[in-house]
Amino acid sequence: MTRASIVAALLLLLPASSRAQNQFSIRGFGDAGLTVFTATQSFKAILGKPSGPVFGGGVEAGLPKHLFLSLAASRFRRTGHRVFVFEGQVFNLNVADTITITPLELTGGYRFHSWGQIVPYAGAGVGWLKYEETSAHSTAADDAKTTHTGYHLLGGAEIPLQKWLAAAVDAQWSSVPNGLGDASTSVASVYHEHDLGGFTLRAKIILGR
Amino acid sequence: MFLSKSAGVLTVVTLALGAVAAQDTAPGFRAFISDVTLPGIDNGVRDADAPRPPRPYPTDLTSRSSGVPYLRGSIIVKFRPGTGPVAQQAMLARAGASKMDAPSYADFNIVTIDDNADPEVTAAAFAQQPDVEYAQARYRMHPMFVPNDPLYSQQWNYPAIDMEHAWDLNPGATSSIVVAVIDSGVAYRNAVLRRSVPAWRASNGVTVFSFPALGVIDIPFAAAPDLAGVDRFVAPRDFIWNDTDPLDLDGHGTHVAGTIGQLTNNNMGVAGMAFNVRIMPVKVVDSLWDDVLGSPFEGTDDVVARGVRYAVDNGAKVLNMSIGRSGPPAPLLQDALIYATTHGAFVSVAAGNDFEQGNPTQWPAAYANSIQGVVAVGSIGRDRQRAYYSSTGSYVELMAPGGNQRAGGTTGGILQQTFDFNFVETYVNGPARYGPPRFDIFAYQFFQGTSMAAPHVSGFAALLMQQGITSPAAVEAAMEQFSTDLGPAGRDDQYGYGLINPRASLRGMGLAK
Repeated sequence: MTRASIVAALLLLLPASSRAQNQFSIRGFGDAGLTVFTATQSFKAILGKPSGPVFGGGVEAGLPKHLFLSLAASRFRRTGHRVFVFEGQVFNLNVADTITITPLELTGGYRFHSWGQIVPYAGAGVGWLKYEETSAHSTAADDAKTTHTGYHLLGGAEIPLQKWLAAAVDAQWSSVPNGLGDASTSVASVYHEHDLGGFTLRAKIILGR
Repeated sequence: MFLSKSAGVLTVVTLALGAVAAQDTAPGFRAFISDVTLPGIDNGVRDADAPRPPRPYPTDLTSRSSGVPYLRGSIIVKFRPGTGPVAQQAMLARAGASKMDAPSYADFNIVTIDDNADPEVTAAAFAQQPDVEYAQARYRMHPMFVPNDPLYSQQWNYPAIDMEHAWDLNPGATSSIVVAVIDSGVAYRNAVLRRSVPAWRASNGVTVFSFPALGVIDIPFAAAPDLAGVDRFVAPRDFIWNDTDPLDLDGHGTHVAGTIGQLTNNNMGVAGMAFNVRIMPVKVVDSLWDDVLGSPFEGTDDVVARGVRYAVDNGAKVLNMSIGRSGPPAPLLQDALIYATTHGAFVSVAAGNDFEQGNPTQWPAAYANSIQGVVAVGSIGRDRQRAYYSSTGSYVELMAPGGNQRAGGTTGGILQQTFDFNFVETYVNGPARYGPPRFDIFAYQFFQGTSMAAPHVSGFAALLMQQGITSPAAVEAAMEQFSTDLGPAGRDDQYGYGLINPRASLRGMGLAK
């Protein structure tokens, strides 16, 4: 069974909402979180650790039948060092290497019954990810600037804080197959880690009703 | 011109050799009367000189190049661990050997045999003994360069390997990296040597020339102006004279040292690969002047092996060996190379210049592909094609600019500062114009050979070590992985893994690119 079909099955099993959220609404949000990348060894080799902070924001449209559609952009940017890997040993070459990852993600989801004031939600979607890598003394030919398509699943819970203000926490798993490619100068090819996705835990501040 | 020495000189040299070869702790034979001399004289690029004849090497001495590439009167033996003195003495007696010495910086012995005995036959007999790990004749090493015509040009070799961009990433390493030049010595300091120069004879195959005794003369030495700097040289050692003054009496080692670390951005002359490193001059091969002046040792396998171990024990992280020979293998050199890499030192070895002489296997280069951290370096010309002389074989791993003057003319060689040979090879124009040599007058000369290619790789290794790749095996892997493939796709016997690409190796790997 593919991941996509699992998502579809979960969505079909969701209980119908009893809350009156049948009208159309628009909200905006900003978020901050932490991503742990699937290519653990590769990110750890370059950046020193396989995770890093992400910041973003977006808009969410509330749809009838407790459905929602969101469009979110986020950004991961971190500077490490280029390396050479030999027989499992990583040699830091002290050449600054900056990774910038900018996903644009479209998510469709469902908002469940509230549990007290807490509203759980889940969703899935597709993303377009812009990957940029540049290093000290590099030329345009040395730098990477690519775009990839991936998909993701997410789930979380939202709690209203005020009439126009809510907070949410969600967790997202994403996959960007072959996002890291297999260039000879790619540490990812050494570790056979080609997926640019990961697991992200984020907190959101939502404005709107 | 083919020069050889007289029997009279032979006697003097042989006696001197016998006195010292027995114990390498004996002092050297040289008397330096002063360290204070005028700075070296820079005569600039020699672009108007007539072509010089090939440099001669003496060939008629019993213990020095008597037409065979090894010494008579002694062999090298390594006993297996645990072989007791009684068993060793029994073997010596059976072989007719008289005594045995254990030199410093060595894990083998020098066994004295009859001068009339064939060292190869005696060594083969020793090697048959179950308690002997290896035994061999004391084969002579020689520099791996083809003598050339001194003319001027620019250093095409650095653009050929994109060094300008590589220096952006690592501007010449630092003084924390020590590169040992295992060679004919280096013009590394000022000195005046007072020495008696005896008469000697030489032949060009047709005429025998008699060079008169010069009596007691003062021979001036100076540090190469474009190489020397503050704290530039570390732990100098001379295994030819058995002292700590490895002065170059040939010019080869000074040229090689220049490619490794010639001072750069100093408004003088030419550039070097890793221009901030410290140089360790380790003299292990002798020149004609060393021979004429009566040096106690020659550049045999055992001397070279000791030089390697000395360099490693005294902190060298990179060893350049622009020397070699054909003939039988040299297991003691293999051991020395393994010793170097297991103690954290990378070794660059010239692959050899004998392609047109039947392309015989070259030692110690042929050990390179079996030892991670030792690289055998072939030579390309300005056209990025293998130079006509560059030896080929399964042991060739990388290529670097070594020059090809057949294809590229005089300026197709590698330009570096070394001696002005008009003042060194004073014997070239015959006895009438023969006179004392001077080693304090310099010029920029074009040399070609895998000797000139290997120091590019040594300098490159120094940059990589400075950059953070501290394992010799990893240095080799980084060089090979990012090399520019030449010739047939993939590794091949002509070009190895291809032409070094310092910038790509220094950049290494990013996350995706």
